[in-house]
Amino acid sequence: MNSQHLSDEAVAAFADGVLVGHARERAARHLNGCGECKHAVTVQREAVLALRAAAAPALPTALLDRLRSVPLTTPINTLPTTIDPDGTPMLATFAPMAALVPVDAPRTTHRARPFVAGAAVMVLAGALAASSVAHGSTPPQNGTGGYLNTVDPGPGPAAGLPAVTGLRFGRP
Amino acid sequence: MTVETAANPTWVPPTWDEVVREHADRVYRLAFRLSGNRADAEDLTQETFVRVFRSLAEYTPGTFEGWLHRITTNLFLDMVRRRQRIRFDALPEDAGDRLAGSDPGPEQTYDEMHLDPEIQAALDDLPPDFRVAVVLCDLEQLSYEEIAATLGIKVGTVRSRIHRGRVLLRQALAHRAPGQRPAEPGAVRTAEAMSR
Repeated sequence: MNSQHLSDEAVAAFADGVLVGHARERAARHLNGCGECKHAVTVQREAVLALRAAAAPALPTALLDRLRSVPLTTPINTLPTTIDPDGTPMLATFAPMAALVPVDAPRTTHRARPFVAGAAVMVLAGALAASSVAHGSTPPQNGTGGYLNTVDPGPGPAAGLPAVTGLRFGRP
Repeated sequence: MTVETAANPTWVPPTWDEVVREHADRVYRLAFRLSGNRADAEDLTQETFVRVFRSLAEYTPGTFEGWLHRITTNLFLDMVRRRQRIRFDALPEDAGDRLAGSDPGPEQTYDEMHLDPEIQAALDDLPPDFRVAVVLCDLEQLSYEEIAATLGIKVGTVRSRIHRGRVLLRQALAHRAPGQRPAEPGAVRTAEAMSR
């Protein structure tokens, strides 16, 4: 008799209503005659209900402000640059109202531009880092075990370019 | 839902402000459910958005929420593992400070009146892997397949973690559940067998 009980996985899937077809019919038939498995399904559903009934905390307003200023406070490895249709080098700046702005400097020096903008950003970043440490945060470390490799392109030179075209950093 | 209109040819990339406004609540809630305290939830949320900002090149319209789930969840698991490695023995002693977070404001006063500390405590007692599976399934309402993809594990493993996590949760909340019938044989099998 015991060997015919629903597996734990089937109990969870049945409780969630995601068993389909033959598997579902078989489980439903078994549940009709088995109080033990029926109870196991009830336990699953009660846990879900209890969880969902609990209110969620509200986003702190100070955190919201910090998130909004992430573009101002986050140095990125390669500032996005591109060339506009008439050949002017474009540089993304991180002022709140800025979109892509033309770089009117001689072509030989435009590579240095990101550095200048980066330095301004770093001042703010430093301030943020200080306040972050002050409330006991744990700064992210390098070598996170590869979990985020799919989302963090790292210092590759190509990483920055589509970032600008994919997002506007302010109102046009 | 600006970022979800991928198929729409008139799709306009969202501003950073729109990204934050649309997703910050959800990320913070997830971070809080996972970490169980405000300070960690704030750190996780902030780090998630920093990663998002740095990795916008990877973004394709329509995958934003899955992407955020994956970043937040993996940052949380990294945090847990890091603390396990350095034996975070001090946590119980300074737990009161950490629970306070950095921003005691009107929201916190409201939360203290409305949040259910018992349920959060039961959630916190779950092993992190189970907690992640249960939170993603029951609170974020991801499918088993989405959770499997988020965590890089098999669907069968997702199901069994969810099952086990819920049993432990239900057990921790047993005293307050009106539907509990401990006399039934199922209670012995599911609750006690699982506690070993």
